[in-house]
Amino acid sequence: MSGCEDTRPLLPDHAAGRLSDGARGAVAAHLERCEGCRQALAVETALGDALQRLPRHRAPASLRRRVESLLAATSPPAPAPTPMPAPVAPARPRARVRAWAAPLAAACASAAVVFLVMRTPAGPHDAPAGALVSEAVNDHLRVVQSARPAEIESGGIHQVKPWFTGKLDFAPRVAFAGDDEFPLVGGSLGYFRDRKAAVFLFKRRLHAITLLVFTPDGLPWPAGPAQRLGRLEVVEEASRGFSALLWREQGLGYALVSDVNAADLERLAAKINAPEN
Amino acid sequence: VSPARPAPAAGEAAAGDAAFGREALGHVDALYDHARRLTRNDADAEELVQECYARAFAGARTFAGGNLKAWLFTIMRHTFIDQHRRNQPRPALGELDVVDGADDRDRELLRDDRELDRLRRLVGAEIEAALASLSEEARAIVLLDVEGFTETEVAEVLGCPVGTVKSRLARARVLLREKLAEYRR
Repeated sequence: MSGCEDTRPLLPDHAAGRLSDGARGAVAAHLERCEGCRQALAVETALGDALQRLPRHRAPASLRRRVESLLAATSPPAPAPTPMPAPVAPARPRARVRAWAAPLAAACASAAVVFLVMRTPAGPHDAPAGALVSEAVNDHLRVVQSARPAEIESGGIHQVKPWFTGKLDFAPRVAFAGDDEFPLVGGSLGYFRDRKAAVFLFKRRLHAITLLVFTPDGLPWPAGPAQRLGRLEVVEEASRGFSALLWREQGLGYALVSDVNAADLERLAAKINAPEN
Repeated sequence: VSPARPAPAAGEAAAGDAAFGREALGHVDALYDHARRLTRNDADAEELVQECYARAFAGARTFAGGNLKAWLFTIMRHTFIDQHRRNQPRPALGELDVVDGADDRDRELLRDDRELDRLRRLVGAEIEAALASLSEEARAIVLLDVEGFTETEVAEVLGCPVGTVKSRLARARVLLREKLAEYRR
Protein backbone atom coordinates (compact mmCIF):
# COMPACT_ATOMS: atom_id res chain seq x y z
CA MET A 1 0.00 0.00 0.00
CA SER A 2 1.59 3.30 -1.07
CA GLY A 3 1.74 6.31 1.18
CA CYS A 4 2.11 10.01 0.43
CA GLU A 5 5.92 9.75 0.61
CA ASP A 6 5.97 7.24 -2.24
CA THR A 7 3.23 8.90 -4.23
CA ARG A 8 4.28 12.57 -4.33
CA PRO A 9 7.45 12.12 -6.40
CA LEU A 10 5.45 10.20 -9.00
CA LEU A 11 2.72 12.81 -9.43
CA PRO A 12 4.35 14.83 -12.24
CA ASP A 13 4.89 11.62 -14.22
CA HIS A 14 1.35 10.55 -13.40
CA ALA A 15 0.02 13.91 -14.65
CA ALA A 16 2.04 13.50 -17.85
CA GLY A 17 0.89 9.91 -18.39
CA ARG A 18 4.43 8.56 -18.10
CA LEU A 19 3.99 5.90 -15.43
CA SER A 20 4.03 2.18 -16.02
CA ASP A 21 0.75 0.33 -15.51
CA GLY A 22 1.76 -1.00 -12.11
CA ALA A 23 2.90 2.36 -10.76
CA ARG A 24 -0.16 4.08 -12.20
CA GLY A 25 -2.43 1.64 -10.41
CA ALA A 26 -0.70 2.19 -7.08
CA VAL A 27 -0.83 5.97 -7.46
CA ALA A 28 -4.49 5.89 -8.48
CA ALA A 29 -5.35 3.73 -5.48
CA HIS A 30 -3.59 6.13 -3.15
CA LEU A 31 -5.22 9.18 -4.76
CA GLU A 32 -8.65 7.74 -4.12
CA ARG A 33 -8.17 7.89 -0.41
CA CYS A 34 -5.85 10.92 -0.05
CA GLU A 35 -7.24 14.42 -0.43
CA GLY A 36 -3.78 15.99 0.00
CA CYS A 37 -2.25 14.06 -2.88
CA ARG A 38 -5.25 14.78 -5.09
CA GLN A 39 -4.66 18.47 -4.46
CA ALA A 40 -0.94 18.04 -5.17
CA LEU A 41 -1.76 16.28 -8.44
CA ALA A 42 -4.10 19.10 -9.43
CA VAL A 43 -1.29 21.61 -8.79
CA GLU A 44 1.25 19.57 -10.81
CA THR A 45 -1.24 19.26 -13.66
CA ALA A 46 -2.02 22.99 -13.59
CA LEU A 47 1.71 23.83 -13.57
CA GLY A 48 2.31 21.48 -16.51
CA ASP A 49 -0.55 23.10 -18.42
CA ALA A 50 0.78 26.57 -17.63
CA LEU A 51 4.22 25.59 -18.95
CA GLN A 52 2.59 24.46 -22.18
CA ARG A 53 1.28 28.03 -22.57
CA LEU A 54 4.83 29.40 -22.72
CA PRO A 55 5.22 31.41 -25.90
CA ARG A 56 7.74 29.80 -28.26
CA HIS A 57 10.61 31.77 -29.71
CA ARG A 58 10.98 30.84 -33.37
CA ALA A 59 14.39 30.92 -34.98
CA PRO A 60 14.79 34.11 -37.03
CA ALA A 61 14.89 33.54 -40.79
CA SER A 62 18.43 34.94 -40.96
CA LEU A 63 19.66 32.36 -38.44
CA ARG A 64 17.89 29.59 -40.32
CA ARG A 65 19.66 30.64 -43.52
CA ARG A 66 23.03 30.75 -41.80
CA VAL A 67 22.55 27.25 -40.40
CA GLU A 68 21.45 25.96 -43.80
CA SER A 69 24.57 27.36 -45.45
CA LEU A 70 26.66 25.94 -42.63
CA LEU A 71 25.24 22.52 -43.44
CA ALA A 72 25.84 23.02 -47.13
CA ALA A 73 29.44 24.07 -46.48
CA THR A 74 30.28 21.31 -44.05
CA SER A 75 31.69 18.29 -45.69
CA PRO A 76 30.78 15.55 -43.28
CA PRO A 77 33.83 13.77 -42.01
CA ALA A 78 32.66 10.26 -42.62
CA PRO A 79 29.75 8.33 -43.99
CA ALA A 80 26.70 8.38 -41.84
CA PRO A 81 25.55 5.01 -40.64
CA THR A 82 22.47 3.08 -41.46
CA PRO A 83 19.40 5.24 -41.93
CA MET A 84 18.39 7.25 -38.90
CA PRO A 85 17.00 5.01 -36.21
CA ALA A 86 13.68 5.93 -34.69
CA PRO A 87 13.92 8.05 -31.57
CA VAL A 88 14.44 5.99 -28.43
CA ALA A 89 11.15 6.97 -26.92
CA PRO A 90 7.94 7.82 -28.72
CA ALA A 91 6.98 11.48 -28.48
CA ARG A 92 5.04 12.12 -25.35
CA PRO A 93 1.46 13.23 -25.79
CA ARG A 94 2.23 16.72 -24.54
CA ALA A 95 5.11 17.28 -26.95
CA ARG A 96 3.90 19.82 -29.44
CA VAL A 97 3.41 19.20 -33.11
CA ARG A 98 5.52 21.68 -35.02
CA ALA A 99 3.42 22.99 -37.86
CA TRP A 100 6.50 24.37 -39.58
CA ALA A 101 8.27 21.04 -39.86
CA ALA A 102 7.05 20.21 -43.35
CA PRO A 103 7.83 23.56 -45.02
CA LEU A 104 11.22 23.56 -43.32
CA ALA A 105 12.01 20.10 -44.61
CA ALA A 106 11.20 21.32 -48.11
CA ALA A 107 13.36 24.39 -47.61
CA CYS A 108 16.24 22.20 -46.54
CA ALA A 109 16.09 19.97 -49.58
CA SER A 110 18.31 22.23 -51.68
CA ALA A 111 20.87 22.46 -48.91
CA ALA A 112 20.81 18.70 -48.61
CA VAL A 113 21.68 18.31 -52.28
CA VAL A 114 24.84 20.37 -51.82
CA PHE A 115 25.54 18.33 -48.70
CA LEU A 116 25.49 15.17 -50.80
CA VAL A 117 27.73 16.56 -53.51
CA MET A 118 30.31 17.71 -51.02
CA ARG A 119 30.54 14.47 -49.11
CA THR A 120 34.00 13.04 -48.94
CA PRO A 121 34.40 9.36 -49.68
CA ALA A 122 35.16 6.97 -46.88
CA GLY A 123 38.77 7.29 -45.83
CA PRO A 124 41.29 5.58 -43.60
CA HIS A 125 39.84 7.44 -40.60
CA ASP A 126 36.97 4.99 -40.58
CA ALA A 127 39.22 2.46 -38.95
CA PRO A 128 38.73 2.39 -35.18
CA ALA A 129 42.24 3.75 -34.75
CA GLY A 130 41.25 6.77 -36.82
CA ALA A 131 38.32 7.72 -34.58
CA LEU A 132 40.52 9.88 -32.37
CA VAL A 133 42.18 11.49 -35.36
CA SER A 134 38.77 12.28 -36.80
CA GLU A 135 37.65 13.71 -33.47
CA ALA A 136 40.78 15.86 -33.31
CA VAL A 137 40.15 17.18 -36.83
CA ASN A 138 36.53 17.94 -35.89
CA ASP A 139 37.73 19.84 -32.84
CA HIS A 140 40.16 21.79 -34.98
CA LEU A 141 37.34 22.69 -37.39
CA ARG A 142 35.12 23.71 -34.49
CA VAL A 143 37.86 25.99 -33.21
CA VAL A 144 38.60 27.65 -36.53
CA GLN A 145 34.90 28.02 -37.37
CA SER A 146 34.10 29.46 -33.98
CA ALA A 147 33.20 33.12 -33.79
CA ARG A 148 35.56 33.44 -30.83
CA PRO A 149 38.31 30.86 -31.28
CA ALA A 150 40.37 32.04 -28.33
CA GLU A 151 38.67 32.65 -25.02
CA ILE A 152 41.93 33.90 -23.62
CA GLU A 153 44.08 35.94 -25.96
CA SER A 154 47.68 35.14 -25.51
CA GLY A 155 49.92 37.42 -23.57
CA GLY A 156 52.29 34.48 -23.46
CA ILE A 157 52.08 30.94 -22.15
CA HIS A 158 52.32 32.14 -18.57
CA GLN A 159 49.01 33.88 -19.06
CA VAL A 160 47.32 31.08 -20.94
CA LYS A 161 48.25 28.11 -18.75
CA PRO A 162 47.04 29.55 -15.42
CA TRP A 163 43.76 30.49 -17.10
CA PHE A 164 42.87 26.78 -17.19
CA THR A 165 43.20 26.45 -13.42
CA GLY A 166 39.85 25.52 -11.94
CA LYS A 167 38.38 24.84 -15.37
CA LEU A 168 39.96 21.42 -15.83
CA ASP A 169 40.71 18.57 -13.47
CA PHE A 170 44.27 18.35 -14.75
CA ALA A 171 47.04 20.84 -15.47
CA PRO A 172 47.91 20.86 -19.18
CA ARG A 173 51.67 20.50 -19.52
CA VAL A 174 52.93 22.55 -22.46
CA ALA A 175 56.60 23.45 -22.39
CA PHE A 176 56.51 25.62 -25.47
CA ALA A 177 55.65 29.31 -25.09
CA GLY A 178 55.42 30.08 -28.80
CA ASP A 179 58.10 31.66 -30.98
CA ASP A 180 58.33 33.53 -34.27
CA GLU A 181 57.80 30.35 -36.25
CA PHE A 182 54.81 29.13 -34.20
CA PRO A 183 53.31 32.07 -32.29
CA LEU A 184 50.85 31.17 -29.51
CA VAL A 185 47.53 32.87 -30.29
CA GLY A 186 45.54 31.92 -27.22
CA GLY A 187 43.61 29.19 -25.50
CA SER A 188 40.11 28.01 -24.78
CA LEU A 189 38.18 25.19 -23.21
CA GLY A 190 36.98 22.45 -25.49
CA TYR A 191 35.81 18.89 -25.56
CA PHE A 192 37.68 15.86 -26.83
CA ARG A 193 35.17 13.03 -27.16
CA ASP A 194 33.46 12.88 -23.78
CA ARG A 195 35.93 14.91 -21.76
CA LYS A 196 37.06 18.45 -21.33
CA ALA A 197 40.25 19.49 -23.06
CA ALA A 198 42.64 22.41 -22.92
CA VAL A 199 42.80 23.97 -26.37
CA PHE A 200 45.89 25.94 -27.38
CA LEU A 201 45.91 27.88 -30.63
CA PHE A 202 49.16 28.34 -32.50
CA LYS A 203 49.84 29.81 -35.90
CA ARG A 204 52.24 28.97 -38.68
CA ARG A 205 52.21 31.89 -41.09
CA LEU A 206 48.50 32.14 -41.97
CA HIS A 207 47.59 28.62 -40.88
CA ALA A 208 45.79 27.83 -37.66
CA ILE A 209 47.14 24.99 -35.53
CA THR A 210 45.10 23.48 -32.73
CA LEU A 211 46.65 21.64 -29.81
CA LEU A 212 44.31 19.64 -27.59
CA VAL A 213 45.51 18.40 -24.22
CA PHE A 214 43.30 15.93 -22.38
CA THR A 215 43.34 12.90 -20.12
CA PRO A 216 43.64 9.86 -22.39
CA ASP A 217 42.27 7.25 -19.95
CA GLY A 218 39.74 4.96 -21.56
CA LEU A 219 40.18 6.32 -25.09
CA PRO A 220 40.68 3.81 -27.91
CA TRP A 221 44.22 4.92 -28.56
CA PRO A 222 45.46 4.17 -32.08
CA ALA A 223 47.57 1.01 -31.98
CA GLY A 224 50.11 2.40 -34.43
CA PRO A 225 52.17 2.52 -36.52
CA ALA A 226 53.79 5.06 -34.25
CA GLN A 227 56.99 6.87 -35.07
CA ARG A 228 59.67 8.09 -32.71
CA LEU A 229 59.98 11.81 -32.35
CA GLY A 230 62.71 12.32 -29.80
CA ARG A 231 61.37 10.48 -26.79
CA LEU A 232 57.77 10.66 -27.99
CA GLU A 233 55.85 7.92 -29.77
CA VAL A 234 53.69 9.81 -32.20
CA VAL A 235 50.81 8.50 -34.28
CA GLU A 236 50.59 10.54 -37.43
CA GLU A 237 47.62 10.51 -39.78
CA ALA A 238 46.25 12.59 -42.58
CA SER A 239 42.51 13.07 -42.61
CA ARG A 240 40.40 15.26 -44.87
CA GLY A 241 43.35 17.40 -45.89
CA PHE A 242 44.54 17.91 -42.32
CA SER A 243 47.53 16.44 -40.60
CA ALA A 244 47.04 15.14 -37.09
CA LEU A 245 49.63 14.03 -34.57
CA LEU A 246 48.64 12.16 -31.43
CA TRP A 247 50.87 11.25 -28.56
CA ARG A 248 50.82 10.54 -24.85
CA GLU A 249 53.25 11.89 -22.37
CA GLN A 250 53.28 11.58 -18.58
CA GLY A 251 49.62 10.67 -18.28
CA LEU A 252 48.26 13.28 -20.68
CA GLY A 253 47.07 12.93 -24.26
CA TYR A 254 48.03 15.43 -26.94
CA ALA A 255 46.50 15.99 -30.37
CA LEU A 256 47.96 18.49 -32.78
CA VAL A 257 45.95 19.31 -35.91
CA SER A 258 46.45 21.67 -38.80
CA ASP A 259 46.53 22.01 -42.54
CA VAL A 260 50.24 22.82 -42.42
CA ASN A 261 52.52 20.02 -43.53
CA ALA A 262 53.34 17.13 -41.23
CA ALA A 263 57.00 18.13 -40.93
CA ASP A 264 55.99 21.50 -39.46
CA LEU A 265 53.67 19.78 -37.01
CA GLU A 266 56.42 17.38 -35.95
CA ARG A 267 58.72 20.31 -35.20
CA LEU A 268 55.98 21.92 -33.11
CA ALA A 269 55.24 18.66 -31.29
CA ALA A 270 58.90 18.33 -30.34
CA LYS A 271 58.86 21.87 -28.96
CA ILE A 272 55.65 21.30 -27.00
CA ASN A 273 57.04 18.31 -25.20
CA ALA A 274 60.62 19.48 -24.80
CA PRO A 275 61.71 18.80 -21.21
CA GLU A 276 60.59 21.71 -19.05
CA ASN A 277 63.31 23.79 -17.48
CA VAL B 1 30.13 13.59 -27.04
CA SER B 2 29.22 10.07 -27.93
CA PRO B 3 31.16 7.14 -29.23
CA ALA B 4 31.70 6.94 -32.96
CA ARG B 5 29.14 5.12 -34.99
CA PRO B 6 30.01 1.89 -36.73
CA ALA B 7 30.95 2.14 -40.37
CA PRO B 8 27.92 1.83 -42.62
CA ALA B 9 27.36 -0.57 -45.41
CA ALA B 10 28.34 0.92 -48.76
CA GLY B 11 25.54 2.83 -50.44
CA GLU B 12 23.74 3.75 -47.26
CA ALA B 13 26.02 6.65 -46.51
CA ALA B 14 24.59 9.26 -48.84
CA ALA B 15 21.00 8.75 -47.81
CA GLY B 16 22.05 8.74 -44.17
CA ASP B 17 23.88 12.06 -44.45
CA ALA B 18 21.03 13.80 -46.22
CA ALA B 19 18.59 12.52 -43.62
CA PHE B 20 20.93 13.54 -40.82
CA GLY B 21 21.25 17.10 -42.12
CA ARG B 22 17.54 17.41 -42.77
CA GLU B 23 16.55 16.09 -39.38
CA ALA B 24 19.14 18.25 -37.63
CA LEU B 25 17.82 21.38 -39.35
CA GLY B 26 14.33 20.40 -38.32
CA HIS B 27 15.21 21.11 -34.69
CA VAL B 28 16.36 24.69 -35.25
CA ASP B 29 13.24 26.24 -33.69
CA ALA B 30 13.38 24.03 -30.60
CA LEU B 31 17.10 24.75 -30.18
CA TYR B 32 16.59 28.48 -30.65
CA ASP B 33 13.71 28.55 -28.18
CA HIS B 34 15.84 26.77 -25.59
CA ALA B 35 18.87 28.96 -26.38
CA ARG B 36 16.75 32.10 -26.05
CA ARG B 37 15.62 31.03 -22.59
CA LEU B 38 19.12 30.04 -21.48
CA THR B 39 20.79 33.25 -22.66
CA ARG B 40 17.76 35.54 -22.27
CA ASN B 41 18.66 37.62 -25.31
CA ASP B 42 18.38 37.27 -29.08
CA ALA B 43 21.98 37.90 -30.10
CA ASP B 44 23.51 35.37 -27.70
CA ALA B 45 20.82 32.83 -28.55
CA GLU B 46 21.58 33.12 -32.26
CA GLU B 47 25.31 32.76 -31.67
CA LEU B 48 24.72 29.76 -29.43
CA VAL B 49 22.53 27.96 -31.97
CA GLN B 50 24.91 28.68 -34.82
CA GLU B 51 27.92 27.42 -32.88
CA CYS B 52 25.93 24.36 -31.82
CA TYR B 53 25.19 23.48 -35.44
CA ALA B 54 28.81 24.12 -36.45
CA ARG B 55 29.93 21.61 -33.83
CA ALA B 56 27.18 19.16 -34.74
CA PHE B 57 27.92 19.17 -38.47
CA ALA B 58 31.66 18.95 -37.89
CA GLY B 59 31.15 16.04 -35.49
CA ALA B 60 28.30 14.32 -37.32
CA ARG B 61 30.02 10.97 -37.31
CA THR B 62 30.25 10.92 -33.54
CA PHE B 63 26.46 10.72 -33.38
CA ALA B 64 25.86 7.20 -32.17
CA GLY B 65 22.23 6.96 -33.21
CA GLY B 66 19.27 7.35 -30.92
CA ASN B 67 17.57 10.66 -30.38
CA LEU B 68 19.21 13.26 -32.62
CA LYS B 69 17.34 16.09 -30.91
CA ALA B 70 18.76 15.07 -27.52
CA TRP B 71 22.23 14.86 -29.09
CA LEU B 72 21.87 18.41 -30.47
CA PHE B 73 20.65 19.71 -27.11
CA THR B 74 23.66 18.06 -25.46
CA ILE B 75 26.03 19.82 -27.86
CA MET B 76 24.24 23.10 -27.22
CA ARG B 77 24.55 22.57 -23.48
CA HIS B 78 28.33 22.10 -23.81
CA THR B 79 28.55 25.11 -26.11
CA PHE B 80 26.57 27.21 -23.64
CA ILE B 81 28.86 26.21 -20.78
CA ASP B 82 31.90 27.00 -22.91
CA GLN B 83 30.54 30.40 -23.91
CA HIS B 84 28.78 31.59 -20.81
CA ARG B 85 29.95 29.79 -17.74
CA ARG B 86 33.63 29.50 -18.42
CA ASN B 87 34.56 31.71 -15.49
CA GLN B 88 32.21 30.12 -13.02
CA PRO B 89 33.43 26.90 -11.47
CA ARG B 90 30.55 24.51 -11.28
CA PRO B 91 29.62 23.47 -7.78
CA ALA B 92 29.55 19.74 -7.21
CA LEU B 93 26.21 20.13 -5.49
CA GLY B 94 23.78 22.59 -7.07
CA GLU B 95 20.70 24.16 -5.58
CA LEU B 96 18.62 21.36 -7.09
CA ASP B 97 20.49 18.65 -5.21
CA VAL B 98 18.59 18.31 -2.00
CA VAL B 99 20.24 15.93 0.39
CA ASP B 100 17.47 15.69 2.95
CA GLY B 101 13.72 15.64 2.39
CA ALA B 102 13.13 16.88 -1.12
CA ASP B 103 9.75 18.40 -0.47
CA ASP B 104 10.38 20.44 2.64
CA ARG B 105 9.92 23.61 0.63
CA ASP B 106 7.07 22.01 -1.24
CA ARG B 107 5.17 21.50 1.99
CA GLU B 108 5.61 25.15 2.86
CA LEU B 109 3.94 26.21 -0.35
CA LEU B 110 0.23 26.60 -0.16
CA ARG B 111 -1.36 23.73 -1.94
CA ASP B 112 -4.76 25.22 -1.65
CA ASP B 113 -7.38 26.27 -4.12
CA ARG B 114 -5.88 29.73 -4.38
CA GLU B 115 -2.62 28.43 -5.82
CA LEU B 116 -4.51 26.13 -8.13
CA ASP B 117 -6.70 28.97 -9.30
CA ARG B 118 -3.66 31.19 -9.86
CA LEU B 119 -1.86 28.54 -11.86
CA ARG B 120 -4.86 27.97 -14.07
CA ARG B 121 -5.21 31.66 -14.86
CA LEU B 122 -1.52 32.30 -15.58
CA VAL B 123 -0.83 33.71 -19.00
CA GLY B 124 2.22 32.79 -21.04
CA ALA B 125 4.04 36.05 -20.31
CA GLU B 126 3.73 35.54 -16.56
CA ILE B 127 5.12 32.03 -16.56
CA GLU B 128 7.84 33.18 -18.93
CA ALA B 129 8.89 35.91 -16.51
CA ALA B 130 8.88 33.52 -13.55
CA LEU B 131 10.94 31.02 -15.47
CA ALA B 132 13.44 33.69 -16.53
CA SER B 133 13.98 34.61 -12.88
CA LEU B 134 15.01 31.05 -11.95
CA SER B 135 18.64 30.00 -11.88
CA GLU B 136 19.96 28.73 -15.18
CA GLU B 137 20.21 25.23 -13.71
CA ALA B 138 16.57 25.13 -12.62
CA ARG B 139 15.35 26.75 -15.81
CA ALA B 140 17.19 24.26 -17.99
CA ILE B 141 15.76 21.14 -16.35
CA VAL B 142 12.18 22.45 -16.36
CA LEU B 143 12.46 23.36 -20.03
CA LEU B 144 14.03 20.06 -21.06
CA ASP B 145 11.10 18.31 -19.42
CA VAL B 146 8.61 20.56 -21.21
CA GLU B 147 10.49 19.84 -24.43
CA GLY B 148 9.44 16.21 -24.03
CA PHE B 149 12.77 14.54 -23.25
CA THR B 150 12.84 11.36 -21.18
CA GLU B 151 14.72 11.25 -17.88
CA THR B 152 17.58 9.42 -19.56
CA GLU B 153 17.81 12.08 -22.26
CA VAL B 154 17.64 14.92 -19.74
CA ALA B 155 20.48 13.25 -17.81
CA GLU B 156 22.50 13.00 -21.01
CA VAL B 157 21.94 16.65 -21.91
CA LEU B 158 22.74 17.94 -18.43
CA GLY B 159 25.53 15.45 -17.81
CA CYS B 160 24.07 14.31 -14.49
CA PRO B 161 23.17 10.84 -13.21
CA VAL B 162 19.78 9.59 -14.39
CA GLY B 163 18.83 8.89 -10.80
CA THR B 164 19.00 12.57 -9.88
CA VAL B 165 16.82 13.91 -12.68
CA LYS B 166 13.49 13.24 -11.00
CA SER B 167 14.44 14.91 -7.71
CA ARG B 168 16.14 17.85 -9.44
CA LEU B 169 13.14 18.41 -11.65
CA ALA B 170 10.75 18.23 -8.70
CA ARG B 171 12.89 20.73 -6.85
CA ALA B 172 13.04 23.08 -9.84
CA ARG B 173 9.27 22.95 -10.24
CA VAL B 174 8.84 23.87 -6.57
CA LEU B 175 11.19 26.84 -7.09
CA LEU B 176 9.11 27.86 -10.10
CA ARG B 177 5.90 27.68 -8.07
CA GLU B 178 7.51 29.84 -5.41
CA LYS B 179 8.33 32.46 -8.04
CA LEU B 180 4.82 32.28 -9.43
CA ALA B 181 3.38 32.70 -5.94
CA GLU B 182 5.50 35.85 -5.50
CA TYR B 183 4.18 37.32 -8.73
CA ARG B 184 0.55 36.84 -7.89
CA ARG B 185 0.74 37.84 -4.25
